[in-house]
Amino acid sequence: MTKNDFTFEGRKIAFRDGLTLAAALEDTGERRLRYTAKDGQRGIFCGMGVCQDCLVTVDGHPNQRACMIRAKAGMEVCRQTALPALETAAQPLETATPEVIRVDVAVVGGGAAGLSAAIAAREAGASVVLLDERKTTGGQYYKQTAGDIAALDTQQAEGADLVRSAAASGARILSGTEIWGAFDGPLLLAETEGSAVVVRPKALVVATGAYERPVMVPGWTLPGVMTTGAAQTLWRSYRTTPGKRVLICGSGPLNAQVAVELAKGGCEIAAILDTAPHPGQRLGEAAAMALADPKLSAKGAMLIAALRRRGIPVRHKTRLLRVDQDAERLRAVFEDARGRETAETVDAVCMNDGFQPQNEILRLLGAEMTYDTRYGHLRCTRDRAMATTVPRLFAAGDCAGLGGAPAARIEGTIAGRAAAAFSQNRQTVDATAAENLALARHRRFQDHLWRVYDPGPQDIDDIAPGTMICRCEEITLAEAEDALNAETGHLGTLKRASRIGMGRCQGRYCGPVAARLVARRTGRPIEDFSFFAPRIPIKPVAISVILAVEEVLGGDED
Amino acid sequence: MATKTDVLVVGGGIVGQVAAIEIASSGASTIVVDAGRDSGSTANAGSLHVQMQSRFMRLYPDQVPALEASLPLYCAAVREWDHLDKKYGPFGMVRNGGLMLAETVDQMEFLKAKAEREHRANVDVEILDRDALDEIAPWLGPQIIGAELCRNEGKLDPLAANLRLREEASRLGVQFAQDQITSIDERNGMAVAVGSTDTWHADRIVLAAAWGTGSLLSDLGLAMPTKPEPLHMNITEPCAAHIGHLVQHADRSITLKQLSGGQVVIGGGWPADDRRMARVPGVRCTSLVGNVALAARLVPSIGKVRVLRTWAGINTTIDGASTVGPVPNAKRIIVAVPGDAGYTLGPLVAKMAASFVTGSDQPFDAGAFSPARFAF
Repeated sequence: MTKNDFTFEGRKIAFRDGLTLAAALEDTGERRLRYTAKDGQRGIFCGMGVCQDCLVTVDGHPNQRACMIRAKAGMEVCRQTALPALETAAQPLETATPEVIRVDVAVVGGGAAGLSAAIAAREAGASVVLLDERKTTGGQYYKQTAGDIAALDTQQAEGADLVRSAAASGARILSGTEIWGAFDGPLLLAETEGSAVVVRPKALVVATGAYERPVMVPGWTLPGVMTTGAAQTLWRSYRTTPGKRVLICGSGPLNAQVAVELAKGGCEIAAILDTAPHPGQRLGEAAAMALADPKLSAKGAMLIAALRRRGIPVRHKTRLLRVDQDAERLRAVFEDARGRETAETVDAVCMNDGFQPQNEILRLLGAEMTYDTRYGHLRCTRDRAMATTVPRLFAAGDCAGLGGAPAARIEGTIAGRAAAAFSQNRQTVDATAAENLALARHRRFQDHLWRVYDPGPQDIDDIAPGTMICRCEEITLAEAEDALNAETGHLGTLKRASRIGMGRCQGRYCGPVAARLVARRTGRPIEDFSFFAPRIPIKPVAISVILAVEEVLGGDED
Repeated sequence: MATKTDVLVVGGGIVGQVAAIEIASSGASTIVVDAGRDSGSTANAGSLHVQMQSRFMRLYPDQVPALEASLPLYCAAVREWDHLDKKYGPFGMVRNGGLMLAETVDQMEFLKAKAEREHRANVDVEILDRDALDEIAPWLGPQIIGAELCRNEGKLDPLAANLRLREEASRLGVQFAQDQITSIDERNGMAVAVGSTDTWHADRIVLAAAWGTGSLLSDLGLAMPTKPEPLHMNITEPCAAHIGHLVQHADRSITLKQLSGGQVVIGGGWPADDRRMARVPGVRCTSLVGNVALAARLVPSIGKVRVLRTWAGINTTIDGASTVGPVPNAKRIIVAVPGDAGYTLGPLVAKMAASFVTGSDQPFDAGAFSPARFAF
């Protein structure tokens, strides 16, 4: 076997250095990665370790996320079956002794907010560890390139600068490290390459960002249907594309940006579908946006010009109805405001319908949340120093509610500095006047930006009854409605009656929809308790990793 | 507000549901009220217990005689589950038996003595050495030297069972309501339950409120020591069928089994935090890592499987024995609390309680389980 080969189902796959298994497989057109319990097939969906749908078996170990694992020469990779076999050997498990990290400030998340927080906390004199689940820091906005690929544009170059500054700050950066447990203290339990890490910081900055809200239609679970961000990662980080012809749908600025990026990468963009009306009908908002942030608005205007130049059609007030398998390709059917149906045959359907904050750690530790009806997600209550309602716990960036990367950087700086002060028993330092001004400006810009687009989730009435709303347990909207008919209670009742939210993604995609479903049925408003109760583990974690933690922390039986 | 019904069942868990099915089948109008919080049955992990659990013997040594005297009830209770599974299932139920493992000679001696006592009560038990274990459970860790096999034991999917039984109750016309009952009494020839949203008048009340039962009986001359135990549980992602038995340990708190859906459920009595008015009990780090690490040592083959979820449910203990029968001072009120291993014993205890209401034959002699033993 040559240096850069692994096998997939026995077939040799050549790969470039730094690629994830998912990217390397997409590169060769292999997109069916897993079989489900109901004979479905799945491929890359979120591209960022959230959906748990790209599971493959690597060298005999099942349940490995292809989007999170780097390809290595000689790996034997197989499609995962619904019920992978357990190990046969009954030998005692060997575990490496976990590292216990005691530090002033721990930062969770290596994106715009987290990197900024780490730098600021170091500048304030605190010892800092930053934990990021990705192998390369930068987060979803600054998406860094893998291997030795040059930066694509100023966005990536800006991110590279931030990553370099964080590394130079003296903060200890642990990438490829995923938090699965968070307890009072705070006490964080993490996993890195199959080993355990225990972190006991004096102050904690959560900067875990957001994940994408999908467009739930029949067929959204087919291999080849993925989030817009997943397609963007394929291109920006790994220089591969999801096939040749792509349709993009949902609503928001990321869809237009990725359309242009994929087009530059050689894709033909069949269309961008946006549920919002044409911005021409919202000129006031566009003008207000330009006023709030001329630089970002200019970037937006250039994007629109690029779409035009490349002849990428943008269909407003148009929504995806379903995706059908069409031989090896996908047939996407959509409907415009007048109810006219059109179809496009494509290789990939990308979807982004707004964002969901990754607020699991914050909710687990008891931080107060309020429901933002316009954005359809929870926002974390914070003071001006980004402190949550829980002592020692700070939140920065999109995990506290959507705000965008420029705001996340400032919030990260404020939070990092405040957490450092707290950890050293100094008086908390509030944001500077300049920071407050800049933050207000970015927030104003975001507010106007999302008046041009549609920041809310799909209306449940627009979801066809046969649509799977729980990807993991393969439960349709109609089945969820049936379960509610049998016993209308709260989300927990619905979960137990239908198995919604009991799968590997732990309710991250179905949870918000199910919460709205229960709210509609009961007539009760949505609040923090409307969502699934936060549970440990935050992400699925191997039993061997828990065993390793027990060897340093001990258990307490009775 | 006041609502009238023939029979009111307080508590909508496994006992309340089966009692309601039995009573509604006799033609009585039946309402089940439940507070909708801190439940046992909806958080249950699906073990069918028969042999005396080492954890219970260790924590409540004074209650062991009552537990031992209850062994015939346990045997009958799993047969009742067989019957329910045939009638209303499938609940993903299997009765492959349960293994209680030993790692030391002392633990083996403990199991041998226990097995002898259980054998005298006609429980189907056998002591296995390591060679015999290798025949049926080669996946056990190498440090296991033997086990007690109890063939009566098994496992089921409690979510499936709860759901199917609820459907059956609804089909029979049982009404379900949410209310927190705060007191129960007899007035003017009626049984009356006062709740936080309604007052319920019934010819009979079946009190199946698990740990909440004791405080409701204190005004009726009974000091029934129902105690809530918030217990920790873990479940993994599904994997191929591998572990056939319910697994326990002679000296450690654990139950481990694989459900019909392929998930491995690990529990067995590690503590959780009772947060009462909060929505769910809290998970303790020491319970999570201790419970799962113990499982990993006993069954190393699950090492690479990932835990998906942890949660806590409320177990109820009384005095080692179930409590079934009319309240001596208020015979319209019938107590139905199985106590420890409540999910296993629940359906049989429910049927015993229902027979006090409907006048049908007792499925099991309730004499030894009367609440009269708590009279003060």
